[in-house]
Amino acid sequence: MAPSPAALEGLVIPYLERQPWFLVDMARYDRDVWASFKLADLEIIFEGRPGMASVVVTVGDRPFHVLVGWRDPVQTPAALGEHQGAVLGMCDDGAGDVLCYDALADEELATRLLAVASAGAKTANRVRLVHSLVSHASLVYDEYLFMKCYRVLEPAPRPEVELLGKLDEVGFRHLLRPVAHWERNGWDLALVREYAPGAVEGRLLALTSLRDLFGRNLEAESSRHDEVGGAGGDLSSEMRRLGEITGELHLALAEAFGVRALASGDALGTRAIRVHGDYHLRRVFRSDAGWIIGGFGDDPLIGRPTDSLGRRRPRFASPLEDLADMTYALRQVAAEAVAAQPAVMWAQAERLAKSWERRNRGAFLSGYLGVEGISSLVVLERAAAADELRSLVSKRMAAAD
Amino acid sequence: MHRDFNDPRWFERAVFYELHPRGFFDSNADGIGDLRGLKDKLDYLEWLGIDCVWLLPIYPSPMHDGGYDISDFLTVAPELGNVDDLVAVIEEAHRRGIRIIADLVMNHTSDEHPWFVESRSSRDNDKADWYMWSDDDHRFAGVRVIFCDVEPSNWTFDPVRGQYYYHRFYHQQPDLNYDNPEVADAMLGVVRHWLDLGLDGFRLDAVPYLYKEEGTNCENLPATHKFLRRIRSEIDAVYTNRMLLAEVNQWPDDVIEYFGDGDECHMCFNFPLMPRMFMAIRREQRFPITEILAQTPAIPEGCQWGIFLRNHDELTLEMVTDEERDYMYAEYARDPRMRRNLGIRRRLAPLVDNDRRVAELLHGLLLSLPGSPVLYYGDELLMGDNIYLGDRDGVRTPMQWSPDRNAGFSRADFAQLYLPPLMDPVHGYQAVNVEAEQRDPSSFLHWLRRMLAVRHQYPQFATGSFEVLPADNPSVLAYVRTARDGDRLGAGLACAEFPTEAGVSDFDDVPNLSKAPDLDKAPAAVLCVANLSRFAQPVELSLGRWEGCTPIELLGRVPFPKVSAKTYSVTFAPYGIYWFELVER
Repeated sequence: MAPSPAALEGLVIPYLERQPWFLVDMARYDRDVWASFKLADLEIIFEGRPGMASVVVTVGDRPFHVLVGWRDPVQTPAALGEHQGAVLGMCDDGAGDVLCYDALADEELATRLLAVASAGAKTANRVRLVHSLVSHASLVYDEYLFMKCYRVLEPAPRPEVELLGKLDEVGFRHLLRPVAHWERNGWDLALVREYAPGAVEGRLLALTSLRDLFGRNLEAESSRHDEVGGAGGDLSSEMRRLGEITGELHLALAEAFGVRALASGDALGTRAIRVHGDYHLRRVFRSDAGWIIGGFGDDPLIGRPTDSLGRRRPRFASPLEDLADMTYALRQVAAEAVAAQPAVMWAQAERLAKSWERRNRGAFLSGYLGVEGISSLVVLERAAAADELRSLVSKRMAAAD
Repeated sequence: MHRDFNDPRWFERAVFYELHPRGFFDSNADGIGDLRGLKDKLDYLEWLGIDCVWLLPIYPSPMHDGGYDISDFLTVAPELGNVDDLVAVIEEAHRRGIRIIADLVMNHTSDEHPWFVESRSSRDNDKADWYMWSDDDHRFAGVRVIFCDVEPSNWTFDPVRGQYYYHRFYHQQPDLNYDNPEVADAMLGVVRHWLDLGLDGFRLDAVPYLYKEEGTNCENLPATHKFLRRIRSEIDAVYTNRMLLAEVNQWPDDVIEYFGDGDECHMCFNFPLMPRMFMAIRREQRFPITEILAQTPAIPEGCQWGIFLRNHDELTLEMVTDEERDYMYAEYARDPRMRRNLGIRRRLAPLVDNDRRVAELLHGLLLSLPGSPVLYYGDELLMGDNIYLGDRDGVRTPMQWSPDRNAGFSRADFAQLYLPPLMDPVHGYQAVNVEAEQRDPSSFLHWLRRMLAVRHQYPQFATGSFEVLPADNPSVLAYVRTARDGDRLGAGLACAEFPTEAGVSDFDDVPNLSKAPDLDKAPAAVLCVANLSRFAQPVELSLGRWEGCTPIELLGRVPFPKVSAKTYSVTFAPYGIYWFELVER
């Protein structure tokens, strides 16, 4: 027992139209909105009640994916809890009226989805909807797996799926490893990965360190902690480790995607590799097992896509570009911490922040350049690399102004 | 007797108290603490709520290494008393529900031990190969020197015998040669001797080094494990309810070997955890702790970790990286005098700048992280140290009992004391002493006693499973201790065991200590949340599994808002540590 394809299509299209993540300029299409939609794929995943179907609808050439669930209308409000807005509408499933809704809002169905997306390899008892974004929704299962359920589909392999798979293949472990992906009719519908409960954004660690630095130095006369190195919340050892892992990431990317000659105009003394491309303190996470690098697509831990479709184009560039991004991020977070101080403290805080930044930048670069084999990508001596980095960071600052 | 002594797994639930018999209480006014003095103070230990006393070495010794250089394994050092005094301590302690374990050094003896005196006398005496003799000092070239500040080599030339002898520690402590079966037999005889007298077990000093083998680092060798299994099987066969606590200052993967398959030591110290607790608080983030716990392997059934904040040795930094060591030195031992070998020789209170909140936080962690906590005498008072004394004496000064002469420790002349009591204006005995803190209901001593009582009421702290909870704020460490099958029984025991009448009733201001928890509703989970920052911190915890439960704070029994959403938002005071029972209601 399940609703008919026509009934599902009829409910999905108006639902899509009112979603904040449905960023399609309908003016580009026919005046007859309905005619521009097409039901491209339908799979009944669970029959009966509650039931679930995977529905793909295209608008022009852009495919959208919605998981539709249905239940007896009386039971539905309880199943949806706080997500009452997920309702699509009523239809008939062959045995009478059912209320259809976005299945991710239904804990029971969302939990059972894991087995579907992993072809039966993984199951869980609980699920937590982390967030719903333009490109995907993120669900965490039993705090050990998470699934990215894509909304805007791309032909497989989706760059994120491909990249993570390849990094995993070449043995790069400082990421949330992919464990399964759900592909159907040439589209990647979902990606299941390991989850690192308790992992914390690098930015928060940086702010913790700065808080301690300012706390000790701006509070009282504290001769013990009059220098950045003496600050209890020193971040430099973490930044050194992050530098090491960044080096390992670049070597892994080079192994997975190859090394190219550098186009002129980029940093000299380096090769071009496929870089991370959006590397900053919100893309790295400290976990109990050390640093984890995220942001290869848009991670559920991050919550912000980079373009309106959440995609990032693979980019070949100097590995120093990633380092410059991270260095710039250190500067930004230091500026943020300074701005959070009372205005009378700014001058003093600024001075401390500068030396904090210098120290952590240095530790990061040392960690990076200390990685065995990194000289195959960055031929420069440390001083030259630091100079080059500085000029790349200046460019970013100029661009930001 | 308050407690059921027929419990072979008592050590899994026990709170240990490490004390220096020479520094605890002097009964005969000779300036040195002794066993009779200890017996006189057992009421205090019962009042405090500890379960087992660990005695630092009690054997005759020339005292080149705080008594760890033993010159007779079978008697008690005369300045401490005699074997009868020890038996009296054991009996009186047992009467109060307290067990006694003692240090035992199997790796080496004093160079004044008759075995060594005989061994060095010639190359062909009966004990000629009871020690490790060599014509040169080249063997075991790859072995690190532990007391690297004072010993240039592990070999020292003995002019009497005309050969080098091997020693892992001070040169006054020649290593025994365990390849000689007579040595192993003799040591087993020592173990039997003390267990026959009623001792509840041993803290085994310097265990990893017993057997040596060329081409290895002479640590953790299979033969050493085999010997430990032999001791354990002897104990299991002949005695009941005894235990072995091993000092294995190694990384967790190596330490775990000393539990064997539950057939070696009952307990091992978790050395790497300790410096990381300090590091986490200085960095105001949880990762130093969670990282090492994530790397700590599971231990066999019937085994337990021993965890501690400080002890009679330096705060050892062998089990951290070089970088972490530099950091610890920079943060906790600015003055080079505070350092010793690879460690920091300081007591808890001065280490944390005498910040009561940090001391509470550290003890709150100690009493709730996985393992049996081991307190160090005097730390319950936040006693200080004296870094101007040599070796580790700075942390072994007399227990401060009262503001009277010599801290109430001894009636001897001041000049006669084995070490001077602390007299500085912050940590000195005039202010920091048992009498004053017992009179002051808001003292650290009372706070700690209350925490110990609460810990006893919840078996989860001792044997529950441990799980770190995700928290969005890196300065907050949250974890859950969940009862395992059989812990409900444990709860019943813990409750029944708890002394209903505290020994020092004058100071018994703690309400409801003996209130029996309702066993049918024995709580399944205890949530611990620590704010490692010196600033107030908000946190969002993922408590989805406990939706519908009410967290009840264990000290004040204050109900917190019910867990209704998937994330639970709370704000915690600076350095705050809170224990909650998660109750369905």
